[in-house]
Amino acid sequence: MMRLLALALCLGLSLPASGHAEPAPAAAITRAAIDAVIRPGYARFRAAAETLEKDVRALCEAPGPAQLETARAAFRDTALAWASIEIVGFGPVRAQNRLERILFWPDRRGIGLKQVQAILATEDDTATDTATLAQKSVAVQGLGALEYVLFGTGAATLAEADAFRCRYGAAIGTNLAKIAARIAAAWAGDDGIAGQLARPGPDNALFRDQDEALGEVTDILIHGLEQLRAVRLNGFLGETPEKDRPKRALLWRAGLTVATVKANLDGLRDLFDKAGFADHLAEEDRWIAASIRFEFAQADDALSVLPARIADTLADPQAREKLAFVRVVSSSLSQLVGEHLAAAYGLTAGFSSLDGD
Amino acid sequence: MAALLNRRALLAAAGTGLLAWIGAPRALARPGRKTAFAAAYKDRDGRFGIALISGDGAIHARIALPDRGHDIACDGAARRAVAFARRPGYFAVVFDLDRRAEPVTLQAAPGRHFFGHGVFSPDGRLLYATENDFEAARGLIGVYDATDGFRRVGEFDTHGMDPHELLLMPDGRTLAVANGGIETHPDFGRAKLNLATMRPSLVFLDRLHGTLVETHRLAADLYQLSIRHMAVDGSGRCWFGCQYEGPRGDVPPLVGLARPGDAIRLLDLPGESWAGFGNYVGSVACNPTADSVAVTSPRGNLLATFDAASGRLVRRQRLEEVCGLAAQADGFFATTGTGAIRPANGKPEHADLVWDNHVLRLDG
Repeated sequence: MMRLLALALCLGLSLPASGHAEPAPAAAITRAAIDAVIRPGYARFRAAAETLEKDVRALCEAPGPAQLETARAAFRDTALAWASIEIVGFGPVRAQNRLERILFWPDRRGIGLKQVQAILATEDDTATDTATLAQKSVAVQGLGALEYVLFGTGAATLAEADAFRCRYGAAIGTNLAKIAARIAAAWAGDDGIAGQLARPGPDNALFRDQDEALGEVTDILIHGLEQLRAVRLNGFLGETPEKDRPKRALLWRAGLTVATVKANLDGLRDLFDKAGFADHLAEEDRWIAASIRFEFAQADDALSVLPARIADTLADPQAREKLAFVRVVSSSLSQLVGEHLAAAYGLTAGFSSLDGD
Repeated sequence: MAALLNRRALLAAAGTGLLAWIGAPRALARPGRKTAFAAAYKDRDGRFGIALISGDGAIHARIALPDRGHDIACDGAARRAVAFARRPGYFAVVFDLDRRAEPVTLQAAPGRHFFGHGVFSPDGRLLYATENDFEAARGLIGVYDATDGFRRVGEFDTHGMDPHELLLMPDGRTLAVANGGIETHPDFGRAKLNLATMRPSLVFLDRLHGTLVETHRLAADLYQLSIRHMAVDGSGRCWFGCQYEGPRGDVPPLVGLARPGDAIRLLDLPGESWAGFGNYVGSVACNPTADSVAVTSPRGNLLATFDAASGRLVRRQRLEEVCGLAAQADGFFATTGTGAIRPANGKPEHADLVWDNHVLRLDG
């Protein structure tokens, strides 16, 4: 910010009169992130989850191949809507373990799968009631569990009649819709988290100044890129093909691994663009924005030609190479955002304040 | 994968002889400016190492590390120390405080990684390190024979996940271990895999038999309060500092006390709040001479000092990204993530590097 001010003075520009002042870059970016990215993102997730709930219930009432396909399509929409907004790792999504209840991953030891299979095998009725389902393991309440219900072993029976499996799926749908509605509502008003983020100050319990608020928004990019690479991709994509673990890939049964990687990156790019991170850079820093956009486009090009089934992508050397390239691009993006963009906005990386050390 | 990359970096470093003293020869240690502290750093070019620092904040010597270091354990009598890689870390470097020998690198055992902390037995014969059996997500203490090239001679359970700092109680036999409770696996970098089901604890272990003496847990609703760092005060009580993994708006207490035979408790701050600590305490140190205890919060940019006897908060100092902390004279020596070195008394120094979270006082 000091740099912008200095630049304005050098160019002999007059500063806007107070009272009609343009908001400072930090405030403008934070405001735009809330209005143009976070709120619409959670609203889309909420709408998708409500459709999903309705479509799974319709499947239970009148089982059939078309109804199953409709429910599966609603699942895809919901998973993609989530993938584009799950990058926001603070606020109401962190209350009551909502993040994990929506999608518990990575599940390195396959605990969730075992728990879901046990519910199906024993026909545990408490899993079909939303109130009791919400008390169970986070791994049996969300998208991961519903993926297994709709796409996992035995899912075809849903098209004929599998009352228990369907009722369990419907309860998950309701649970997701409820959580999505609570998060969207918590962000909608200006008195809650949105107000705290938009109006930092000494009395604000979460953000004491504009830089802390901007730091949180920038952290969505930094953390999102790190998660994409260290967890989402590295979790199944080995250094060499022999070390690939296709069944560890997120949502592989639904064929959504690549699509959710793309949705993740789309969410990050949207945040960069719509929050206006490029709009407040000094002349000598504009290359950062150009480079970031270039890298996002590279990743997008690589992802858009991959087969949907992750096993197919990994089996085809050229396709696999493209996925590995996305991992490299995500590293470049991490460096551009974490070092250069953060520095351009005067944010320090916090060498000693990382988690758990 | 992270494991492989780190091993590769380690081997590359070993191959190029990178693990060596940097800079001036050992004559550099000037009389009257005795080495008093050691801490891990990152330099301006992104290289990592350990620095030996005098009590007035001057850097005496440096040792290069293949990757980022964390805490250091010291055997004062033998004048040697061991620096551990930051989690998930695969190496530890043994070095001689008087630079009589080149540093030696230890590698983590297969299927294990270091968490970044360790401690010597009182006679200096054994070294204990907190480690992760990462496939089983089981916390371990690795045991190393310092008389036999630091050969790994055994391991025992910490009865919890994510053991972070450990220290030796004044009886010389009991180990206090902070089980942070956060599951991680090197395949997923530093991602936290179990925030919904954490079970942190502070345990006392018998180091001679490797057995559990006592488990201390906080109230059930504080299951996301990760106990990570500790220090023992003059009356043999273990002070601990926490980081909170729950919603940011919550403001739980972050410092508490434990001792074998007593109930664990968290500190109240009458008339004050934990709000300024950013839900994160990075280091804890006791100063028995001054009967005081200090904690740092690099997120809150805060160094807070407590009276050990009453548990009262007596001083708050604002220091940008302060974390490293050790007793010095009647106060505390501190280092920061921006590179500052703050002796307890005397003028601050600023190094051309940034400090990791801990600073070790070198006794003996």
